Amino acid sequence: MSDTNAPRKGEMFLRAEGITKIYSDGTVALKEASVEIHSHEIIGLLGENGAGKTTLTKILSGLLPPTSGRVVSPAGPVQFANPREALDFGIGMVHQHFALVGTFTAAENVALSYDRPFARTQLAKTVERLEALMEESGLGVPLNVPVEKLAVGEQQRVEILKVLSRDVNLLILDEPTSVLTPLEVDELFNLLRRLKDAGKSIILITHKLKEVQDITNRIIVLRQGEMVGDVKTADATTEQLAQLMVGQAVDEAIDAVELSDQELPVRRERRAVNRSGKSILHVENLTARGNTGDIAVDGVSFDIHGGEIFGIAGVEGNGQTELVESLTGLRVPISGTATINGTNILGIDPRQIYRLGVAHIPEDRWELGLVLPFTLAENAILGVHRWKEFRGPFSVLKWGKINQHVRELMDRFEIRATGPSAPAKSLSGGNQQKLIVGRELAKDPAIIVAAQPTRGLDIGSARYIRQTLVDMREKGRAILLVSADLDEVLAHADRVAIMYEGRFMEVCAPEELDRERVGMLMGGVTVAKETA
Amino acid sequence: MTAQEAQQQSRLLRGIHRTVTGLHPALESLIAAVAGLLVGALLMVIWGFNPWEAYSALIQGAYGGSYEWANTLSWATPLILTALTFSICLRAGMFNIGAEGQMYMGALAAVCIAYFTLPPGLHHLVGLLFAAAAGAIWSLVPAALKLMRGVSEVISTIMFNWIAKWLGLYLALNILVDSMRAEKTVSIPITARLPVLVKGTSLSAGIFVSVAFALVIYFLLWHTATGYELRAAGLNPTAARYGGIRNKRTMFLSFILGGVAAGLAGATIVMGLPPTYAAFGGFPQLLNMGFNGMAVAMVGRNHPIGIIVAAIFFGGLSSGGGWMQILAGVPLEMINVVMGAIVLTMSIPELIRVFPAAKNGIQKALRSMLRKPRSAAGEGSA
Amino acid sequence: MNFSNFIDLLRIALHAMVPLALTAVGEIVGETAGLFNIGLEGILLLSAFAGALGAEIGGPFVGLLLGMAVGAVVSLLFAIINTYWQGTQMVTGIGINLFAMGFVAFGLIQLGVPGHHVVTNSGHLLKIRTPMGMYSPMILVAVILPFVIHWFLKRTRAGLMLKAAGEMPEAADVAGININRIRLLAAVFGGILAGLAGAYMSVGWLYMVTKGFAAGRGFIALACVVFSGLNPLLALLAAFVFGFFQALAEWVKTLPNKIIPYEFVSMLPYIVTLLVVSGAIGRVRFPKFLGEPYKRE
Repeated sequence: MSDTNAPRKGEMFLRAEGITKIYSDGTVALKEASVEIHSHEIIGLLGENGAGKTTLTKILSGLLPPTSGRVVSPAGPVQFANPREALDFGIGMVHQHFALVGTFTAAENVALSYDRPFARTQLAKTVERLEALMEESGLGVPLNVPVEKLAVGEQQRVEILKVLSRDVNLLILDEPTSVLTPLEVDELFNLLRRLKDAGKSIILITHKLKEVQDITNRIIVLRQGEMVGDVKTADATTEQLAQLMVGQAVDEAIDAVELSDQELPVRRERRAVNRSGKSILHVENLTARGNTGDIAVDGVSFDIHGGEIFGIAGVEGNGQTELVESLTGLRVPISGTATINGTNILGIDPRQIYRLGVAHIPEDRWELGLVLPFTLAENAILGVHRWKEFRGPFSVLKWGKINQHVRELMDRFEIRATGPSAPAKSLSGGNQQKLIVGRELAKDPAIIVAAQPTRGLDIGSARYIRQTLVDMREKGRAILLVSADLDEVLAHADRVAIMYEGRFMEVCAPEELDRERVGMLMGGVTVAKETA
Repeated sequence: MTAQEAQQQSRLLRGIHRTVTGLHPALESLIAAVAGLLVGALLMVIWGFNPWEAYSALIQGAYGGSYEWANTLSWATPLILTALTFSICLRAGMFNIGAEGQMYMGALAAVCIAYFTLPPGLHHLVGLLFAAAAGAIWSLVPAALKLMRGVSEVISTIMFNWIAKWLGLYLALNILVDSMRAEKTVSIPITARLPVLVKGTSLSAGIFVSVAFALVIYFLLWHTATGYELRAAGLNPTAARYGGIRNKRTMFLSFILGGVAAGLAGATIVMGLPPTYAAFGGFPQLLNMGFNGMAVAMVGRNHPIGIIVAAIFFGGLSSGGGWMQILAGVPLEMINVVMGAIVLTMSIPELIRVFPAAKNGIQKALRSMLRKPRSAAGEGSA
Repeated sequence: MNFSNFIDLLRIALHAMVPLALTAVGEIVGETAGLFNIGLEGILLLSAFAGALGAEIGGPFVGLLLGMAVGAVVSLLFAIINTYWQGTQMVTGIGINLFAMGFVAFGLIQLGVPGHHVVTNSGHLLKIRTPMGMYSPMILVAVILPFVIHWFLKRTRAGLMLKAAGEMPEAADVAGININRIRLLAAVFGGILAGLAGAYMSVGWLYMVTKGFAAGRGFIALACVVFSGLNPLLALLAAFVFGFFQALAEWVKTLPNKIIPYEFVSMLPYIVTLLVVSGAIGRVRFPKFLGEPYKRE
């Protein structure tokens, strides 16, 4: 299965042999994974959530030790006790969640990985070096501002600079494009190509097939901890890759992973449209500040009708979170109106909002949607714990009724757990999300606000939840779907709004969009609609 | 080891983890108690005492007979309440270290009922109410400071302990003082004294107050929506807010309840401790009940029922300590050493994990008991 | 203590400032790295006791060293529990305080007089006679050290590493810093300083040890840390202010008429602490991961 056909100038830089990783709680993250990495090469590392991509790269970059197996260089076996040793060897990783100290400047963050603790920091020298590096690589970033004040794209550039400043030969990037606009992605890819031409090796972790086909020479596919594919990019087709990733029949695989342009219209025709026409949620000129004090939502207006899925697409961090928070009682906007069937929902308690018929599937199920140490039953009443069917006089809880309710939910939504008194943290991500969905839908809502509802879920659960939302639409509910997964939005929404820097760039039907236009809109470029 | 073996072992470990986790809370407390006693024994040996003698005397003095049991329970009475102070607030996510000061204020407030007459029953009730109110008020300010200005409640409650000590000293010896005996306050009149349950001991009806309060708190926390909100706010304030819970209000409530508990603790002593039924300057009978209550809370896993059990254990330590001092010559300050060691041990989570030797031993034992390893249902993190 | 004039008041205040300043600066280093040690009170008590013992055996410097050693050992235990063993810092600290209360009381009984022990003259760290009264040389140490630590935190790589460990341990980990080790070192350093503070109290200032010797100083030191926003120079200032109020309370006790009951003056240091802490919040910003154990995976 392994294709060791090395590209022209490439010689082997590193080889991983039989890497197995079992975590302390028993999870098998990697099973005998082997891969050879050459110079002048960009390798795409594909796989779903939980396939082992991040684990493998964490081992290569020295953050984790393998349970068994070894890493070999041309000079012999290598072992890294910590990331700095890997850096010294020439391997650097840019993480998905940046390893930056927010209160430090870019220069201080870079200085952190230098040795000799009792020496003076000599930041001026570091700044000089970084400026030279920025010239060379084409990455520009303000060096003396606390990193937490920089935009996400800039922060990523600091991360990359940090790694480049150590003169690495293997650069690993973990899902770098999930926080970038399409234009920024192009810039990044240009940089990567330049680095490749200069002889570096690059591993790009991603779950986006298009990207992988765009920029890589070689693709490695992981599934459930095992290497299932090592192919040349030129030789691989989308279907093949999807199948390797998911391990199912091709049709279902395509359905599950990124859809290409050709397939989109086919999907849409198969849907029946059932709009009741009545406006349930009416938002006008909503403006809200973010946590940093800057304007996050900038005068947004829209309506959602019963029987309709209204999708908000866009790279995360453009105000979607704050918009959802404003509509669900978690943030007080500074101006504008929003009503549900005529009643105001701004600036009031979440509990009151729930009573008005709003269900909220939050974007962070661990932080927001669940109290993990609580049992299933306790989580199932979060938000509705004061409703008459669960609460008697003197606010006494009716556990009998509650447990019955939970069992019904477990049944209806196929939630796999040992019982209503199982702690929520013992459930898998998919089951946790299903619990939340079940809880929210049990409110019999008029409108469902679903924020990143399938993030981090396995294929089966993701599909289940998408289907549930579609079912709700058929039943005449209004649905607000906010998702950073563009294809999810395009495939399921009746109308789509592209959000950028707090504003809706455009609101239209998905048919009217092609990937290129969407990409530009997501990047903030206003594009005129094409006629005919 | 091969990947195969590693996988097998981890499956077993997970199974053991789950078995032990089921017993975990009580087991941890037990281990901590044993560890504390061992530390005490070690120190005794170093100083030339005989730990066997000492601990036998201790157990005799704590649980040897009904008279001894009564004294133990009388020690446990205020401990249950001050432990609840710490635990209720901890469940709401706050560290209320102020039980000591709240207790002093409660005791003094209870003493105030000596200045008017009421029929018994009503007089008792008013005493308890005064004490509860005083405790609650004393915890209000730290609560307000935390919720309105973000002041660490750890620091503010500790400062209030010291302020209470001095203010209490002044009030006890200057305002509420007994005109005939200048070192104590006026005594609680007979109409308000909690009846002694076992003649010749110091066990009063205060124990009923303590246990009743503990049961009320249990019911409140696990069977009412208000208690649910409190626990949620303590475990995950963000999710609580999402659930429509007003976190500030619940945290405030927890402080009030905690203050009430500590105030009642003061009342049970002042209204229940023969022969004087009064507070002394410097509060010698109350001293350190607040801090020891925290130890009780931790060993009791912050659960009202666990707290009652732990209070009986710690009460035993305190009441048996006197016998230990008389019979074995070990100063009763050793008790504090034991208590401190217990708390220290309790601060280490999942003690089984920490001691690999112990783990291996238990592993072997359980392996022979387990018929087949539990099946894997784990999730990877990529 | 006699207060013939205002200089005397200042003199007492400076002496009272020493344990607060030393403990606070030590805790600043620890908190910068992410450890919140509420057990300082217990460490002060234990090291005061150890210092007294050591001084009687081998002279004042042995006493100070023993005090520092005790502080280091207790902090080491605290650190190990709360880094490698992922413990709960608050609970460990409370445990240390309880243990110290019992141990010192127990120890004092063994030494002779329950609750009280006077350090013999041979163990005194002598104060230096100046025209303005007797001053302990430790005052100089207490004043200079904050400046040294301030420079250290701001200008060396180690300072950066400490801050990273407290603010974003993941970033520090990736940069190759051993989080647990650095927190351990920071805690031990803080313990050494607190140990020195306690030993100073028994060996260099009051020349005795009592059951409740710390008298809340560990907690007042924490308040100094809060006030200082982890700036050692501000902590020194806070320590002086609190020391001043403690001295003031003592002075009022010696006044002939009971204008103000001494109990109210005794309350002053704690009330002032409260006021300062209430006023200071909002300005200061603490490491994001203060109090959280770090686990890599």
